[in-house]
Amino acid sequence: MLIDKELDRVLKKVEKPARYIGGEVNSVIKDPEQVAVRVGFAFPDTYEIGMSYLGLQILYNILNANEEIYCERVFAPAPDMEKIMREEGRVLFTLETFTPVREMDILGFTLQYELSFTNVLNMLELGGIPLRRTDRDDSYPVIIAGGPCAYNPEPLADFVDAFLIGDGEELLEAVCIARKEALSKEEFLKSICKMDGVYVPEFYEPEYNDDGTIKSVRKIYEGAPDRIKRAVISDIEKAEFPVNNIVPFIDTVHDRSVVETFRGCTRGCRFCQAGMIYRPVRERSKETIKKLAVNQLENTGHEELSLLSLSTSDYSRFEELATELMDICSERNVALSLPSLRLDSFSFKVLQEIQKYRKSGLTFAPEAGSQRLRDIINKNITEDDIYSAVEQAIDLGWEHIKLYFMAGLPGETYEDLDGIGEIARNIMDINFKKRGRKGGRFRVTVSVSNFVPKAHTPFQWAAQDTKEIFIEKHNYLAKKLHIKGVTFNYHETETSSLEAVFARGDRRVGRLLEKAHELGCRFDGWTEYFNAELWQKAFAETGTDIAFYSSRERSYDEILPWSIIDPLVSDAFLRRENDKACAGKVTPDCRQGCAGCGINKYTECFKGAVGDYGKEA
Amino acid sequence: MNRYVITFSKTGTICYISHLDLMRMFQRTFKKAGIKLVYSQGFNPHPKMGFAQPLSLGYWGLKELMEFETVNEYDTEELKKMIASMMPEGIEIIDCRPLEGVRKTLAANTVAAEYIIAIPVSESCDLTVEEIRERYLGQEAIVALKKQKKKKELAEVDIKPMIRNIEFALCDETLFVTAELDSGSTSNLSPELVIDTLLKCLELDIDRSEIAVMRKNIVFDFKEF
Repeated sequence: MLIDKELDRVLKKVEKPARYIGGEVNSVIKDPEQVAVRVGFAFPDTYEIGMSYLGLQILYNILNANEEIYCERVFAPAPDMEKIMREEGRVLFTLETFTPVREMDILGFTLQYELSFTNVLNMLELGGIPLRRTDRDDSYPVIIAGGPCAYNPEPLADFVDAFLIGDGEELLEAVCIARKEALSKEEFLKSICKMDGVYVPEFYEPEYNDDGTIKSVRKIYEGAPDRIKRAVISDIEKAEFPVNNIVPFIDTVHDRSVVETFRGCTRGCRFCQAGMIYRPVRERSKETIKKLAVNQLENTGHEELSLLSLSTSDYSRFEELATELMDICSERNVALSLPSLRLDSFSFKVLQEIQKYRKSGLTFAPEAGSQRLRDIINKNITEDDIYSAVEQAIDLGWEHIKLYFMAGLPGETYEDLDGIGEIARNIMDINFKKRGRKGGRFRVTVSVSNFVPKAHTPFQWAAQDTKEIFIEKHNYLAKKLHIKGVTFNYHETETSSLEAVFARGDRRVGRLLEKAHELGCRFDGWTEYFNAELWQKAFAETGTDIAFYSSRERSYDEILPWSIIDPLVSDAFLRRENDKACAGKVTPDCRQGCAGCGINKYTECFKGAVGDYGKEA
Repeated sequence: MNRYVITFSKTGTICYISHLDLMRMFQRTFKKAGIKLVYSQGFNPHPKMGFAQPLSLGYWGLKELMEFETVNEYDTEELKKMIASMMPEGIEIIDCRPLEGVRKTLAANTVAAEYIIAIPVSESCDLTVEEIRERYLGQEAIVALKKQKKKKELAEVDIKPMIRNIEFALCDETLFVTAELDSGSTSNLSPELVIDTLLKCLELDIDRSEIAVMRKNIVFDFKEF
């Protein structure tokens, strides 16, 4: 691809210019003149992060397989690049053809985490596109957004023309084709709002009570649905999956072949948004997974293969699959990486095989320090499970155990935090027993993140701890975990409460976002760029009460900003789960009996899975 | 032993791919093509392949060389075709042939490299080509700040003896410098130091981002290659 002299000069000045040039193996080049719809697929973070996201590869592949559509990638320029772009008046461009994003028909953002929201606004600005949808006429691209954060679309509702909720494989292409057929933006939005999974915010107007809660949501366009049902692919086996993945030139977070084995999760952890919004479990057949893996490896030359799902070992024929993939990989001199394994004896056998020489740390996520609290959050793991796995791991030569916990879970007390310290200490003791008083180089890392209540989960009504309480808890934990051989990490408090504001914010927090952007906030998920003072200023200047959004418990009667979105998991189920949490009662895995979340009214559970699951309990 | 060398060019935006990234791209190409490379023995085995000289980020290369050793024997025409079909835009495979009669690696045999440096001088320079040459080479010593191999500190070094040949030409308000410089493990001179010293000597205030560098050729200590 030939570029102009000015851009060449810019590239000579920036760090890692390869982030901005495209041209990778398997990237798609089309003649823009020959297509009907041009789409910019925007990931609001750097190239290295965006290119590690499988959803991009899936959707890029689907859209570009359609002759009428050309999908090009756009990433957030790193701060050094942004500075030069602004100085030189260079607008944000696509990687494939260096076309200004403004010339796209559709510019779609994927919303993977709340702390990337300021980057969405910044990318619009860098593209020369007015931020507010009311300031954009038909000459601008239609701005759409999807991904898990679109399940509470309201914080971005003033900036985005349409949100796509749910599985994107069929929906995104249908939306792109509708764009081609529509004569105006209005006509386009009116036509797509009738599709399942499309939320057009301009057709709805929230009204508020004096206390700041939502009074009602007025529908402005009669043809728009009362509630937006999420889009669901019922048979994942038939869904398109890429085998010609783009192979980045530069190091990215994950640069490997990857096959999604199944979507959804049956475990029902009450804090987990993914566990709710990706229901039900739908599996790809073992043969298809193998075929996809082999094809991907052959087309990319990758030296590593990984599987993607919410819980690797829950695949119904996991043992066979793992064994067969190990053969495929060893034949080809490819490393196999299996994330989030449940540590039973089979997993150890597999890990022994695939990590012969270099053993990475073993990771457990008990999430809470006591059985009582683990029952509240419905995290089905016992301390005995952990200790027996640790014993095996030590016998097999592992020297590093990583533990993940959350602070601030509903119902948490300081005894639960004591439990975190005890678990770490007990693991160290197991090692002393096994290896003698010195214990070798054995280490335990305890990482504590802060609980952020998410929309469409049983904990969506819960209060988040205030920053002060989080800090107190971190200090308390630091004392408890002052143990030789134990490293304690915890997540920053400021960003966790900010995340909570956007995870459950209403349309009015859009002003806060706009102000923060104006003040220069971006890359808020990056410790080196996050600026707490600027955010505080943005809160103050917009009069936004952080407590209203983060540390306030909602009642069941309240109209929640995300009520407009129907995740197909019933509201009654979420309430029931929350009530059970308060009573400390667990709900078994759906494989052991249907928990009645309501998704089976719309689609089949366990489609593609081998075995007899989910009969009415 | 099945040793081969491919000659390729790297031009256009792909010049912003680093040496190591290009290496990985070739490794993946071999994997895709099913070409099995010979691995080094030892604790951390790595495939036997390597460039004659790394090419700096942003430079174009017209005649770059990469050697590799394969488990099986190949017809070079076939190898060339196979590899060429998998190259990204900007990498052209010019030639592929057996690497015979060469001891050690190409890198170990490299002694010099020839570069073309394009400096847009516009009106800021009213000197003739002869005057430029006289001014630059007329210096008793061409002193540059060079990073020391071991200490990693900058030290003043006379680079004049490392310039094997240098020619100047002016065309379209651009000064073209063709220079053959020491390259390799014994003595190595980066074109960056020639640029620095030349700008300083000619009192030109031109931003580095305006200047383009292209490597034309790599010279080895054996005569014919």
